[in-house]
Amino acid sequence: MANFHLEAKDVNVWFGARHVLKNVNLQFPENQVTALIGPSGCGKSTFIRTLNRMHELIPGAGFAGEVLLDGKDIYGEAVDPVDVRIKIGMVFQKPNPFPTMSIKENVISGLKLSGISRPDAGDLVEQSLVRASMWNEVKDRLNDPAISLSGGQQQRLCIARSLAMDPDVLLMDEPCSALDPGSTRRIEETILELKESMTIVIVTHNMQQAQRISDRTAFFLAEDNTPGHVVEFGETQQIFYGPIDPRTNEYVNGRFG
Amino acid sequence: MQAVERPKNAQPWTNLGPKVKLSSAITIIAPSVIYLAILLTTGMDFMAGLFTIFLPLQLLCGAWAGYYSYGKRGITDGLLLVVTFFLSLFVFVLLASVLWSVIESGFQALSPHFIYQNNVYVSGKTGLEIGGVGHAILGTALTVGISTLVTVPLGIATAVYLTETRDFGRGTVRTLLQAMSALPSVVSGLFIYSMLILSGWSGYSGLMGSLALIPLMLPTVSRVAEESLRLVPKDLRNGALALGAPSYRAFFMVTLPAAQSGIVTAVLLGIARVIGETAPILLTMTIANGTNLNPLQGGMATLPGYIFNYILLGDPTSIARAWGAALVLLIFVGILFAAARVASAPKKAKKRSAK
Repeated sequence: MANFHLEAKDVNVWFGARHVLKNVNLQFPENQVTALIGPSGCGKSTFIRTLNRMHELIPGAGFAGEVLLDGKDIYGEAVDPVDVRIKIGMVFQKPNPFPTMSIKENVISGLKLSGISRPDAGDLVEQSLVRASMWNEVKDRLNDPAISLSGGQQQRLCIARSLAMDPDVLLMDEPCSALDPGSTRRIEETILELKESMTIVIVTHNMQQAQRISDRTAFFLAEDNTPGHVVEFGETQQIFYGPIDPRTNEYVNGRFG
Repeated sequence: MQAVERPKNAQPWTNLGPKVKLSSAITIIAPSVIYLAILLTTGMDFMAGLFTIFLPLQLLCGAWAGYYSYGKRGITDGLLLVVTFFLSLFVFVLLASVLWSVIESGFQALSPHFIYQNNVYVSGKTGLEIGGVGHAILGTALTVGISTLVTVPLGIATAVYLTETRDFGRGTVRTLLQAMSALPSVVSGLFIYSMLILSGWSGYSGLMGSLALIPLMLPTVSRVAEESLRLVPKDLRNGALALGAPSYRAFFMVTLPAAQSGIVTAVLLGIARVIGETAPILLTMTIANGTNLNPLQGGMATLPGYIFNYILLGDPTSIARAWGAALVLLIFVGILFAAARVASAPKKAKKRSAK
């Protein structure tokens, strides 16, 4: 079996007594984009949160299984969730730049927040903004408050903020669902550039987006009050053009969900 | 493209029509005129007539105006409008008259030396040209300042406990805070008096006064701070945690700055809550005529204590001094509330830096 960069083994999730994810097994190879698709409430967002232990912040959350990063379980006994989140970055559905900080401060906020000091913080700002393809737009107003940016720019700032931490894996939870088509296209271009240097997992409700940017796709489903699970997982082309499971076929062709 | 000029009436929703205008005018004027006529002819008591004659008349008129303008459904509208206006105006007049009486009576005592002088040279024979509340202002600043220094960290810590943790103890803490906010201030004073002063542990002093103010200030500070921390979007905190922040750094670097204006408001409201407290001060501090800057020893005057003291003396000059001190206190509270409003106003986006 090939070595995968990030791997979820038999992931089960509960909220209180409610079982919301059942036996999820997914592998995320290095330098590939994996899309998670499925109807609302099927547990995709919950699952992506288990990958950097953000899930455990929800009151009443429960977890069983393993998530291996480079072969090591991030839920292991001696593992600090803070270290996990430094290595595995996350971009949320709604842009959430820190309102009290300037653009520049936002980019390097991760360093300050995690207590890492780097002498080249100035270069890092430029580097990260370039990687998030927004350097040219903001290079003249780095000291402006971050909330003066447009929604699409704010989201790319959040990506830049994650990139400044130089993560191995970037998790994106519907990063474009609040954005216009132009901003969406730019973020998609950014994702395709970023995958050269990291592993990306993205939750999306947009079938075209999944096809455009992902190498592999996993289809989640939660039927009739049963816990969510993975129906089908494979190459994106195969999921969209030759799905094995009829439910996948119906979903990707827009007949339910 | 041809520009469309803004028409004279670009707010069609303000066109009320002649029926509404006419009936509103009658409703506003008629009851007052009738009531005034009755007052003048019979010479009855104003307040008694206000509720027995004027209010029913006004309600009747409001109901009629509503019916005349909008039919049946207008009746409740008219009645509610009258009740709302009447009660608002009533409360406003009450408040304004309280304010006015303080300003009117306090103004004659007010002068520059009244603000900075103390009372050492004041006797029963001296007039308003000597003596002031300088020592009382300093005393109030000291006692309230010490209370603030203790209460603010404690209150914010309580607010953090209530918003950031999900301990089982939260319900208890919140209930206790609510109970504390209903605590009569005299009880707080009595507690310090019996525990620390009667027991001989300490004499009357400024510090005892400060201690008595703390339980009164704490609920206000922590409740308002809690509300403002709760208003900070969860997304921001999650964003910080997802970057690998330990939760204490996420709190200090992201949540707290975002709630900053609310926290400032909490502190100012807390100060405003206790600055005029009299009962706990009277039970724990002796009143001095001179300036005392040592909160550990000796008597210390405060503004509320000063007012209480001088109003009891009873001669016209002393009463004028008490009113003057009340006016000074009122001005301080006013400044605090204005500062709270400014601090809690939504921040305008900073000017863009020069390019």
